Amino acid sequence: MVIWTGVTGSLPQFLRKGTNPKIYEGAARKLSVDAETVQHGVEGLMYLLTESSKLMISEVDFQDSVLVLGFTEELNHLLQQLYLENRKEIRHILGELTPSLPHYHNLEWRLDVQLASRALRHQVKPTVTMKLHLEESGGDKSAKVLQTDPATLMHLIQELEKALAELKTTHCRRILRNIK
Amino acid sequence: MELSESVQKGLQSLADATFFDMKTFSVFIEVAFRSLLSAHADRSVLDQPEFKRLDQKLLKHCHTAATTCILEGVKQNADKSTISACLEDVGFDAERTEVFYTTYQKCRSDLETLLSSLGRCPPHINDVSWRLEYCIKNGHVHKVNEPSYLISLNVENANNGGSSEDLHFSCTMEQLQDLVGKMKDAAKSLEKATQL
Repeated sequence: MVIWTGVTGSLPQFLRKGTNPKIYEGAARKLSVDAETVQHGVEGLMYLLTESSKLMISEVDFQDSVLVLGFTEELNHLLQQLYLENRKEIRHILGELTPSLPHYHNLEWRLDVQLASRALRHQVKPTVTMKLHLEESGGDKSAKVLQTDPATLMHLIQELEKALAELKTTHCRRILRNIK
Repeated sequence: MELSESVQKGLQSLADATFFDMKTFSVFIEVAFRSLLSAHADRSVLDQPEFKRLDQKLLKHCHTAATTCILEGVKQNADKSTISACLEDVGFDAERTEVFYTTYQKCRSDLETLLSSLGRCPPHINDVSWRLEYCIKNGHVHKVNEPSYLISLNVENANNGGSSEDLHFSCTMEQLQDLVGKMKDAAKSLEKATQL
């Protein structure tokens, strides 16, 4: 039972970083079975946890699912604990697999006044220079340098405030409340 | 206002009544200014009936000289005295100087706008569009149940002949609040700066 706990304890680590064959061999020796059996067992459990997390099933449903496996009640309870403790993180990792666009990370800005250029002297042209930091779901960061003028900046703010206000409308609130 | 020898020579011809009488001169000045402001290069710009009797080579030389002089004036923000002095140096009489300067004043701000749009700069944001969606589930995770925004910035590349592209990214409500907050900080600083 202790060895079993040791193996199941490594499950979250496997899900995060990938499997480590050495742990299989170690456990196989202690359990007096071959490494392949241990590997299958572990992979089976990983599948159980990933599917359960993906579907976000309730405790009752989880118990019903493991009941068919014929484990002891103590083991079922242990597995349920494992599920509840790790499901958020598993869902987060699974979420990184979905196709997605880069998401907003940060915005840096700077106010400049253009005084002259090769084509025209004696200018007073205010500009806002911005650095938009984006992040891919895999963790790759990128930054784009962009520029705009004061009038467009006000327009951008107006439009995006409208976007934010949309979430607070009755329509959106109703959807968010009812689709759970 | 420094002008090259070639430009000065062209202006001298323009000042010469044997080549350009007053009527032809006035038409020429209009044509010169108009050719700078029109959106597309017009090959037939010098095909005016008034220019028919003139030597084509001379006409082109004068046109180049005049447009160079005009652009130099706008670039340096030249005032009346500078322009007058410059034109006097190349032999313009008072009447021709007046015709030139009047048209210069008329077209000046449009020419300034044109010149200020030239040059290198980072991609310029023109517009933004947004989409609010509620994600119910995807292939890897069910019961997501989260709203998210998809933002598209329409950006113009001044360097690539004005080609525009869209920059897409997604964000949560909190992230969009952060973005808008920072933009508002920039706008506030802008307002303060204009009051200085």
